[in-house]
Amino acid sequence: MRRRAFLKRFGAYAALIFAAATPYGLVRLLAPKVYADPHRHIPLPGALPDIDAFNRACIGCGLCGEVCPPRCVEFEKREGADGLNTPYIDPAKKACILCNKCMEVCPTDALTITPIREIDMGIAQIDRAACYPWVGEGICGACVAICPLGEEAIGFEFANIYKPAVREGCVGCGQCVEVCPEPSLPIWIVNRSEGTVAKHGVAARRRSY
Amino acid sequence: MIAKPVILRHLNKLRWLVLTSIFLMLVLLPFIHLYQTYVAAHAYDLLYPNEKLIYDSMEWLTAPFVSDAEHDLDVIKGTTWSGNLFGLQISDPLAVLSQISASLSIYWPFVLTALVPLVVTAVLGRVFCGWICPATFIYELNDTLAGWLRRAGVPLGDKEFDKRTKYLVLAVGLVLSMLLGSVVTAAIYPPAIIGRELYYAIAQGGFGVGAVFFILTILFDLLVARRGFCRYVCAGGALYSLLGRYRLLRIQRVVSQCNDCKKCNVVCEFGLDPLQDGFGQECNNCTACIAVCPTDALEFRIAIKDIPYQGPGHLGQTYRRAEKAEAES
Repeated sequence: MRRRAFLKRFGAYAALIFAAATPYGLVRLLAPKVYADPHRHIPLPGALPDIDAFNRACIGCGLCGEVCPPRCVEFEKREGADGLNTPYIDPAKKACILCNKCMEVCPTDALTITPIREIDMGIAQIDRAACYPWVGEGICGACVAICPLGEEAIGFEFANIYKPAVREGCVGCGQCVEVCPEPSLPIWIVNRSEGTVAKHGVAARRRSY
Repeated sequence: MIAKPVILRHLNKLRWLVLTSIFLMLVLLPFIHLYQTYVAAHAYDLLYPNEKLIYDSMEWLTAPFVSDAEHDLDVIKGTTWSGNLFGLQISDPLAVLSQISASLSIYWPFVLTALVPLVVTAVLGRVFCGWICPATFIYELNDTLAGWLRRAGVPLGDKEFDKRTKYLVLAVGLVLSMLLGSVVTAAIYPPAIIGRELYYAIAQGGFGVGAVFFILTILFDLLVARRGFCRYVCAGGALYSLLGRYRLLRIQRVVSQCNDCKKCNVVCEFGLDPLQDGFGQECNNCTACIAVCPTDALEFRIAIKDIPYQGPGHLGQTYRRAEKAEAES
């Protein structure tokens, strides 16, 4: 009889734990893990460099989005389980203007205040097989003209006037991506380790974000 | 008999005013942000007609208060999950606790943002739930709707569960945050969901997955248990209950005024038992029972503990019959 009472109580507690975990399970089920296109999914300025550490620190309050003047901060609304409601930037839609507001408003250490030149959202990479001036389809230079950091981030190749080349000072804000008139977007934001010139091949397109 | 301040009876109306204005604020803030982005872009001529409407109405609303809309309107930002109020950063204690357990480290500037709610809850109890929470606004309206439906003869669920379930939800949520390395409690905490989803829907072009969960909780309240989510599931409510356990300000029954009419028990959204002095840590000081009491037998007192059951009310039938029998014997 005592064993039956114990089993009953054990069953009740198991059911209770199951009931308590159900909402979380629902959330996990409703938000399956999908891998975003890394080129359209770059971290915010001042974000913790490790994406897992960023997800641990971010509470999903949306303050960074609410203060962003160009409204470039997007959120994992429907996709992404661990990173649910965490922010990212899609530079092809709207790029960061390096105004520092999101870093200042973030209550946690997910975003920390960083001087502009030390921000590391990635680095711009140009596909020279698609960029208008590089393939000899006229002159452009939109990316160079709009860059908030100027010569130290992007300039024209020496003796190759109007052919843009990214320099090491680029912080990856993505304004060049947003402004690029070529529909195939020959300029992307990638990990710093991937270099400033696109190498063709399947492996070169993948990023660990 | 001490004369009772009349204001007590109207506190419930005040509470509704507060709830409504906070909810409206959460609707307004995304529109204000849209307006700010339009101003920052100097883009009035490029806007669509509906965006121009937003621009014009927000300009009309905010122009008396700010001169530089792009920057001055930053003084109020965020949601009840974490927000900025005139330079004061306030975060939900649940946000802080979950973030600590997710990252297994303490970031003090963030912990300090929960100081105000912590102190307020320690003194006033679970007032966040009754007076501020934007989900309470919707849940109470939902409960009113359920009342109308019941009166119209629609059978709705009124199951009762163990009130301790929510503490388990809180514990499981914190452990899962730790294991999964992300703040999972944010995904099932209605006030956080509402602020966020309103922002997504208005400024970001579409509801997120949280809206689905919130609709499920509304249906749970409607079809399974009255105010069931707040009573049995809400992790944040559980935390506030624990923090407000030894609150200073609590509602107590004046037994000499009570006539045992039971209206307080019926009106209590949290299923408490004011008629038998059963308030406990779940009481959120919402004052609905005070407002409904016909004999003013409920009032606020400063005390650390509830009084144990005082017996039937002195104006009630049971008490008078017992007294009469005693006098005759």
